[in-house]
Amino acid sequence: MLLIVVSTVSCGDDFLEPVPTAVLVGETFPNNAEELESVLVSVYDALQGVNSLELTDASLNHAQQIEFYVTEMLSDNTRSKSGEGEAGQFDNFTVQPTNGFVFDYYRSMYDIITKANLVLDNIDLAGEDAATIEGEARFLRGLAYFNLVRSYGDVPLIDGPILISDSEAQFTRVATSDIYDFIVTDFQNAIGSLDVTSTPNRASKAAAQGMLAKVYLTQGTNYGEAQGLLEDIINSEQYALEADFRDVFFNEANGENIFTVGYVASNSLESQNFSAEMLNGVGRTSGVNYVTDEAIAALDEFGGDRAQYSKRVDAQQPTQTQVVKWIPNGDADLGIAETSSDPTSAGNDWIILRYADVLLMHVEAILAGGAQTTSSNALASFQAIRDRAGLADDPDNPDDDANTVTVITRDDLLIERRVELAFENHRIHDLRRFGVAQDVLTAFSNANGHSFSATDLLLPIPQFEINLSNGLLSQNPGY
Amino acid sequence: MKYFLKTSKIAILLLGMVAAISCENELDLPEAGSQEDTTPPEANFIATVDINNFALYNFANLSTSATTYSWDYGDGNTSTEVDGQNEYAAEGTYTITLTASDALGVVSTFSDTIEVIEPEEPEAIIPVIIEPSFEDNTLPDGTGDGRDSWRNSDLGGVIQINTSSTVPEGGQAAKLPSDASRIGYQELTVTPNTDYRITYSYRIEDPGGSATVSVLPGGGYVDRATAEASAIVEFTGSDESYTLVTLDFNSGADSTVSIFFYNAGVEARIDNFTAALQ
Repeated sequence: MLLIVVSTVSCGDDFLEPVPTAVLVGETFPNNAEELESVLVSVYDALQGVNSLELTDASLNHAQQIEFYVTEMLSDNTRSKSGEGEAGQFDNFTVQPTNGFVFDYYRSMYDIITKANLVLDNIDLAGEDAATIEGEARFLRGLAYFNLVRSYGDVPLIDGPILISDSEAQFTRVATSDIYDFIVTDFQNAIGSLDVTSTPNRASKAAAQGMLAKVYLTQGTNYGEAQGLLEDIINSEQYALEADFRDVFFNEANGENIFTVGYVASNSLESQNFSAEMLNGVGRTSGVNYVTDEAIAALDEFGGDRAQYSKRVDAQQPTQTQVVKWIPNGDADLGIAETSSDPTSAGNDWIILRYADVLLMHVEAILAGGAQTTSSNALASFQAIRDRAGLADDPDNPDDDANTVTVITRDDLLIERRVELAFENHRIHDLRRFGVAQDVLTAFSNANGHSFSATDLLLPIPQFEINLSNGLLSQNPGY
Repeated sequence: MKYFLKTSKIAILLLGMVAAISCENELDLPEAGSQEDTTPPEANFIATVDINNFALYNFANLSTSATTYSWDYGDGNTSTEVDGQNEYAAEGTYTITLTASDALGVVSTFSDTIEVIEPEEPEAIIPVIIEPSFEDNTLPDGTGDGRDSWRNSDLGGVIQINTSSTVPEGGQAAKLPSDASRIGYQELTVTPNTDYRITYSYRIEDPGGSATVSVLPGGGYVDRATAEASAIVEFTGSDESYTLVTLDFNSGADSTVSIFFYNAGVEARIDNFTAALQ
């Protein structure tokens, strides 16, 4: 976060103020390199979103801060505590096109895209760091489209500044495959333009390589290219697994995180409120992103050391279980220090890509859609994750090989991703990508009395957009 | 800093002060024959095979504007659930038909065909090394002088053949003279991400030098320094009597690997390559 703050201060406080989407774009484009850099910072700010406990205007975009509603809570990992209201719609698969989080996330992603387009459209203003600025803008635009296409399916493709009268571009849904082509081009450009960074809050070459690999895995093609990209990250030796799983989340300057969204505690413009919302009645909600019984069971059985740093019993309500990874106010029992003196203005960063994900994607690339693998390169990546979780063999007992991985099935990999990356907004995408979402969520829904059907795997296009589109924008099936 | 705070002529996607004006197609209940069904059902689904059971399929119902559904799975099984699931008893080609109806009795059908087939575990390729022990007439067509498969003039001169002394296999071995100008190179086809074992025997003729055999990822090498720096696995030895060496490696993302051998300082002999799965 530090880097963003510094560069932002240099160009005036105005840029820090999150502005409603409706006044996002001024009547004047940036005029020089310094102003262009400021617009780039505003793209990062758009991904960051605003803390809704600090800035209460409901029309503001909350972006990364509300992503868990439309991803993790839609999966079998978490739910709201009350099961009520718009949050509850994700628990029980009754999401409505009018759902505020669905609209907020959608317009947040297009806010990122629109601002990135403004940077790219004026890239000729940039000085000697033009390539880096272009790479960062393209990385962020690619990430936003990747989020959109995974959650909403076919979406409008906006690739440059457009006029309000250009309703065709705004409201014509473009085929998923074409959106993916666009994303691939953006990430490939970012890989060519970016290098290592001093902070995971800024886009780097490795971040773009990892995201492009995930795109390829999602498309189910180019497994070999995905493997090559991931091995580039591995062989760069820029990143490594943290020895202590807890430090991934509570020691933010660690060597595992590749791309994170930065937040600053006790700062009304740069803090986040998701940490508070996941506590019991500390944020605006009574508690959301609470852990399901199914996720508790998976973590207890397969998580090793990770279980205790992923979930905890809610001390105020012992029948309920909370997410640990983002707690702002510390937990003495877990040896976690307070990160934010005011939990409603928290500074915990959100992790979008970390090295453990790279290693597990490496296994997935080697599996290449197959049922299982015994390839030693896959076993090595998988074993590293297991060993860090405290699931290694006893080094003093040569007969102990119970935890030596000799074969990895797709089920094994899906379980390992679930417990390693729990509550980091991967689960719903993983279920979709592995082709098991319908099966797994049908069983989950039936066991909990919810009403899942396969069309719930895509979010609805926000009703607000459909209304504005004057009949151009079609709704997803099932809504 | 004004340009960010003013409203604009430039639109962004979500610009608009318009409150959510409803444009839902909620039709008034029509009198008989008075109004056509403007949102007729459209049946659609996609089929996904289970990751653990090739005979089990999930069908995601993607129909629009329908309220009741009827599945025909093509094997005699049927369902009226929204989403479908069916396990097929036998391999074969099946046509699945979804009939979607709305409350006005308008019907739409959609069919798709699946092929239920037990996936074969792909057999890993066992690489074929041509002229593996440098014997005459061991090319696939029964000709050759034992070294034709080992040439790469970009990396170095072609190996010589030793015929005069006892060698580990057959009557000939590769000979690398002490000037170190000659090399052996051969590209092998492999299955990606597979663990292989290559063995060979070597010796050096005098003290003070070495013989190196390496396995390179991919093929197409034209630069010796690049080739020497690229090894997945390599062994450099200086035994003066024939010694068996085992090189274990993983083929990685490539479907080609290359064997590359060379010497330093003194004459070296190499013989009897084998390749197998680990």
